[in-house]
Amino acid sequence: MADLSQYQEYVEALDLLDEEGRFEYIIDIGKRADKIPFPADCMDDDHMMHGCMSKVWIIHEIESDRHYFRGQSDAIIVKGLVTMMTTSFSGLTISELGLLTLDHVRGLNLGALTMQRQVGMMAMLKHMQKLSRQADLAAAGD
Amino acid sequence: MNDINQTSHLTCYNVEGGFDVGRVRQDFPILGRQIHGKPLVYFDSGASAQKPRSVIDAMTEVLEAQYTNVHRGAHYLSQTLTDRYEGVRGTIARLLNAPHEDNVVITRNATESINLVAATYGRTNLRAGDGIVISAMEHHANIVPWQLLRDELGIDLQVAPIDDRGVLDLDAYSTLLDQGTKLVAMTHCSNVLGSFTPAKDIIRLAHERGIPVLLDGSQAVVHSAIDVQDLDVDFYVFTGHKLYGPTAIGVLYGKADLLAKMPPYQGGGEMIDVVTFEKTTFKEPPYRFEAGTPPIVEAIGLGTAIDYVASIGMDKISKYEQALLAYATERLLAMPDIRLFGTAPEKAAILSFIQEGIHPFDTAATLDRFGVAVRVGQHCAEPLMARLGVDGTLRASLAMYNTMDEIDIMIEALERARKLFG
Repeated sequence: MADLSQYQEYVEALDLLDEEGRFEYIIDIGKRADKIPFPADCMDDDHMMHGCMSKVWIIHEIESDRHYFRGQSDAIIVKGLVTMMTTSFSGLTISELGLLTLDHVRGLNLGALTMQRQVGMMAMLKHMQKLSRQADLAAAGD
Repeated sequence: MNDINQTSHLTCYNVEGGFDVGRVRQDFPILGRQIHGKPLVYFDSGASAQKPRSVIDAMTEVLEAQYTNVHRGAHYLSQTLTDRYEGVRGTIARLLNAPHEDNVVITRNATESINLVAATYGRTNLRAGDGIVISAMEHHANIVPWQLLRDELGIDLQVAPIDDRGVLDLDAYSTLLDQGTKLVAMTHCSNVLGSFTPAKDIIRLAHERGIPVLLDGSQAVVHSAIDVQDLDVDFYVFTGHKLYGPTAIGVLYGKADLLAKMPPYQGGGEMIDVVTFEKTTFKEPPYRFEAGTPPIVEAIGLGTAIDYVASIGMDKISKYEQALLAYATERLLAMPDIRLFGTAPEKAAILSFIQEGIHPFDTAATLDRFGVAVRVGQHCAEPLMARLGVDGTLRASLAMYNTMDEIDIMIEALERARKLFG
């Protein structure tokens, strides 16, 4: 059973808030994410997720068959969103990651803020799934 | 309906000449919408303008009661709709003061109009080593078609610079014209900076050297009266959806002698004279360039939009928008953290800016919370962003239906963004 406790924590916190509260909550997460430095040498083309209005970088590590992600962006709101996604879905196996769908993104109930952000978060999830598959394939080839 | 639509709230915005923004707003149903519980403040007309009721009704009327194909069939519906559709060509000709409706080619958008000229005039008249001059503030639609032609034919693409205000450097432009230039393709009004280019000077300097000029009027036609004969421009293009019309409809104006010498753009029905398996002959312009069933409903929508603009008067619209621009500029410049791009003396009501220290996306997201719709990013003008030294900007592009109260709402939202992110 996948450990989605951090994801559930977000879902419950957001559920208590109105739209404006959710907006400020994401900003708060984005600001707090700055307190944990993201490796500057990873803010490069190799780690960039293309197709976003702001710059987004996601780094990935694999440890005991579990996948861990960290995200960064030059926009605070997007930094908040990518932090929510990476902390929600870190520590999962490749098969657990593969089971995540748009419903998990919808579960955060941020669609009302704008559809575009929900689409962006789905793109982040797909990017994380791709990184984990690539890492698994690379590990299998070693 | 939101309170911004109440005429009593707006009468103070009427300017000399009787422009009544309250009445104008009532013609645009979408302006009654609420976004995040707040009245919509639509400052994204430069991307695509909202549609007046008359356009919506005209298109619905065609679809409900008049629809069929045009230019064929002896039946009543086809004849009456063909008359209505062809009447739009005359409406467009009047908008541009074109000498004849046959100068008007109906396309899908300005991008297609430019590609049409590149593929027909360009391929026929340009050779390796010839030059095309564009400006540093072009939309991608007036860069990429010429790059494709450059790569195909081996021509040079030369870029006329702008100064820090966003004004075209006419001296540098003039110098470029003496370096093998065979065509000038330039914006008439920057979609990012709002700058009007000095069209008459651009054309005069080019014509003195026998060089034809294409102007991209997608923004200019929305904010100013266009007279292609007075400009003496060779090609003029614009898109319908920024001029309060529908999407998928655009215009290419061309001088008759140039159009007559240009080969077809695409092959198919409508554009042919006689077809045999051995040989096909083609119609005269403009039909030669209009292969396939045209955008019938969209054309009628555009014609109605042009009639709507004409019923108000471009002179009044322009004067009112200039008042909005002056007020928005003053309010933005009074904010300590706003950096405004584009301060040309001749400019349309388009304001590109950033909040220092705040990512434009964060500012735009905050504006959205206030119901304020602006565009954020590179505005299909990446080379211009590089010239400005930024990754992107916010762009508030104003239209005849906007108000000074709405500008105040944007300023309030910017102050909120500073508190949240500054």
